[in-house]
Amino acid sequence: MTHKHDKSSAFSQGVLIFVYLAVLTAVEFFVAVKLNSIQIMLLIALVKAGLVMYYYMHIYKLNTSDEGDEHSYSFKSGTNRIGLWMFLLSDSFVFGGLLVMRFNLLGLTRPHLDQNLGLLVTAVLLISSFFMNRAETSIEHGDRKGFVTNIIITLILGIGFLLGVVAVEWPRAIEEGITASSNTVGAAFFMMTGMHAFHVLTGVIFLLIVLRNGAKGLYDKHSYPVEAAAVYWHFVDLVWIFFYPALYLIGVVAG
Amino acid sequence: MKKNTVGSGLLLLFVAGAIGYGLGLGFDALINGAPNFSGSTSAAFALLFAVSAFFFGLYGYRGITRGLVWQVVGTLAGGLFISGIRALMGYKFSEIFGSFFFSEPAWVFGALVGVISFLSGVGVMDDWMKWVRGIDTHDHHEDEPGWEKYFSVSLDHKVIGIQYTVTALVLISVGGLFALIFRTELAYSQLQFLTTTFKLFNQNGPQIYNSLMSLHGMIMIVSILLGVSGIINYVVPLLIGAHDMAFPRMNAFAYWIAVPASVLLLMSLVLGGFDTGWTGYPPLSARAPVGVQMFFLGVFTAGWSSILGALNVIATVIRMRAKGMNAMRMPIFVWAAIATSIIALTATQLIGLSFQLVMFQRLFGMGFFDPAKGGNPVLFQHLFWFYSHPAVYVFVLPGLGIISELLPVFARKPLFGYRWIAMSSLGIALVGFVVWAHHMFTSGMNEYLRVPFMYSTMLVAIPTGVKFFSWVATLWKGKIETPTPMLFVLGAIFVFLLGGITGPPNAMVALDLHLHDTYWVVGHFHDTIFGGFVFPFFASIYYWYPKATGRRMNEFWGKVHFWLMTPSFLILTFGMMYIGLLGMRRRIVDYDAALGFDPTHLVMTICAFGIALSVLIFFINFFHSMKNGEKAEGNVWNSRSPEWQVPSPMPAHNYEVPFEVVGEPYDYGLPGSKYVQFITPTKKK
Repeated sequence: MTHKHDKSSAFSQGVLIFVYLAVLTAVEFFVAVKLNSIQIMLLIALVKAGLVMYYYMHIYKLNTSDEGDEHSYSFKSGTNRIGLWMFLLSDSFVFGGLLVMRFNLLGLTRPHLDQNLGLLVTAVLLISSFFMNRAETSIEHGDRKGFVTNIIITLILGIGFLLGVVAVEWPRAIEEGITASSNTVGAAFFMMTGMHAFHVLTGVIFLLIVLRNGAKGLYDKHSYPVEAAAVYWHFVDLVWIFFYPALYLIGVVAG
Repeated sequence: MKKNTVGSGLLLLFVAGAIGYGLGLGFDALINGAPNFSGSTSAAFALLFAVSAFFFGLYGYRGITRGLVWQVVGTLAGGLFISGIRALMGYKFSEIFGSFFFSEPAWVFGALVGVISFLSGVGVMDDWMKWVRGIDTHDHHEDEPGWEKYFSVSLDHKVIGIQYTVTALVLISVGGLFALIFRTELAYSQLQFLTTTFKLFNQNGPQIYNSLMSLHGMIMIVSILLGVSGIINYVVPLLIGAHDMAFPRMNAFAYWIAVPASVLLLMSLVLGGFDTGWTGYPPLSARAPVGVQMFFLGVFTAGWSSILGALNVIATVIRMRAKGMNAMRMPIFVWAAIATSIIALTATQLIGLSFQLVMFQRLFGMGFFDPAKGGNPVLFQHLFWFYSHPAVYVFVLPGLGIISELLPVFARKPLFGYRWIAMSSLGIALVGFVVWAHHMFTSGMNEYLRVPFMYSTMLVAIPTGVKFFSWVATLWKGKIETPTPMLFVLGAIFVFLLGGITGPPNAMVALDLHLHDTYWVVGHFHDTIFGGFVFPFFASIYYWYPKATGRRMNEFWGKVHFWLMTPSFLILTFGMMYIGLLGMRRRIVDYDAALGFDPTHLVMTICAFGIALSVLIFFINFFHSMKNGEKAEGNVWNSRSPEWQVPSPMPAHNYEVPFEVVGEPYDYGLPGSKYVQFITPTKKK
């Protein structure tokens, strides 16, 4: 099942999807600047989400039915995969609720934030997903060294995103007068980025665990934990695909 | 020996309660200058100490006791940590410690640490921590024999199911006790004993009334969620022929996280209480005492129990069905469990989020629901009811599933319209997602939303009507037997019918403007919950009790339970609806004698005690029959269901010989038909 593609074609597919996502993000940014059309931005976000879900998170694996015995590793992994996706479904209701909260309170206004920084952290998270995909592909083909290298890059980028939001963006926002207690703009901004950052943090912890055990060679044969960490990491990226336009691009700056 | 353990548990309960109370008085004296005998600190310490000590006496320092002790220690450590930080930040002593001992942020953080400490203390995360370190664990853990396995972590779904059920029964009695207290106060107009001079936990009588009324709601809801999980956990793997749930450790986690959640809910009462009702609407909840934070955290943690439990159920049903059990041959209760789990898995996040937002509003001044900062209180109601309306379908769908499951057994006839019933459960679940705003017709939301939500709400009557039609058709010309479980099933149908037909009037916008927040609504939802959950819950306990214990519950006392509870309950809710229509408001401690409601209230109070007495009879029967009940090791109810084809009590790893589904599940009375066939082992190996 995991060896359906050979390694290099899986890698090149990862590159292709990354290029699509990067181009779409750039287009989204220019749509925001030039047209400010919510419909087009929503469409782009949905396409990006679809790409991530299909090519990075491999949602189609839910449908494979080639397991044998009930106690076999592939059967158990199939069950775990269903459990993980249901957890993500559940979790997405939290983020959905946050988006409802944001649009109810702020409407078509947005906080006054640094556009360059926003684009930068978005790019960092997107690139980290690319390396996560490479790490997963490596371990599935038994390449432990490639796995370790790629997951360390993912971790660095993930921590970079986290610091970019919490250690750079937050203090800057506070300098701009956007504080948690000032008004609903600040409340929505800190709640949404905070909840997302919390998920990135848990993802980083998840990746550290997977890195430690993977480096010891525990996943050479049975690599489901890496897949689970990857799917979770991509999910966090997926959430940001919607949060980024919702916080940085849509509407006009709140006065 | 065992009698001594309960005795020493109770002894320690009182001793430690007294020590905790004294300790609290000491802290009070230290911080406020004088001991406060009706204060919250002493009560909180007394509660924490007493509960932990009771389990210590009963069970020793392991399992649940260790969890509770760790929770106490964790709560104190977390609270002191935040207090220390606040001290470093230069807060004054009186701001770090106040009338509730810790300040509010310290309590919140402490409670959170306490929950995590409980989970580590009880040991439910041990295997996961081993996985993190790369150590493999066994799939099957051997449990201790006897009653002791129920007090520590077990991975067996049958043990967890019973843990859930018993916890649910404990919480039902706590919530019922609260109801009896405020029901007694309501028996006559004017304030009798919950007067303004009455002082308890820093609250006066009417405030205590509000706290008890609010907690009655939420404790009952949590107990229902646990009861639902209990029945599903015990029964679903047996019905589908699985050896356990798909994720046994998460199953145990989902149960054990509900225990500290219950402690937090009780702590909300002693930490100043709250007067918002179970809905916790801001702006009132943004101003209530610190108790409301404990309430929010308790609901939040209980919500995780519900979410993870639901996830487990869906995965189990998708992956672990017996050979030949395709979707249209699943027992009907499994369909109900799936429908209820879909709601619990997704919508529960929204009540967690809405409560979290209020918590942050209180802690950090974030103005989500504060109009002064541009916030919108109606937004809270939308987020809250997006879960809390579908939640009632989480409560009733399994109950309706039990009715459909048991009815053909006792009517000795095929279930009428199997496919329609299965689909109606899913239909109720899906329609349930788009009806939430019918709770908000008077809340000041956009008026154009009223009519669509009125129609979507009335749409719920269609799948529910399908169920009623099928039940009546199943009973039609059946050879009806009426042992206790069937009595409760019939009672459930009747009571749920009353709950059902009193619903559409509330759905009509025009009528709801009059009915909103009256006792009519209280009568309506007690009918739906009793008919949809409580009666089927008792039915399933009487029905599956022999499966779990190998003994039957006493039939005579079971019938007494039914014939005492049903009329009491009906008179109680008729009374509620009657005075509700005449204008009796919900959630108030007192009413004007001139309204003439006194006699009705008195009758209702008497009936409430009737229900309490019947439940007491049930409890005695429940515990007495474990040792002394009539032996019942075979197919007691002459059922076709697989779990009754093997001897009771159920073997540790369920079916030693797997079965195969060869026919329709409910073809009772058809000669020669068979549902399951055990696969005789072939000489493969």
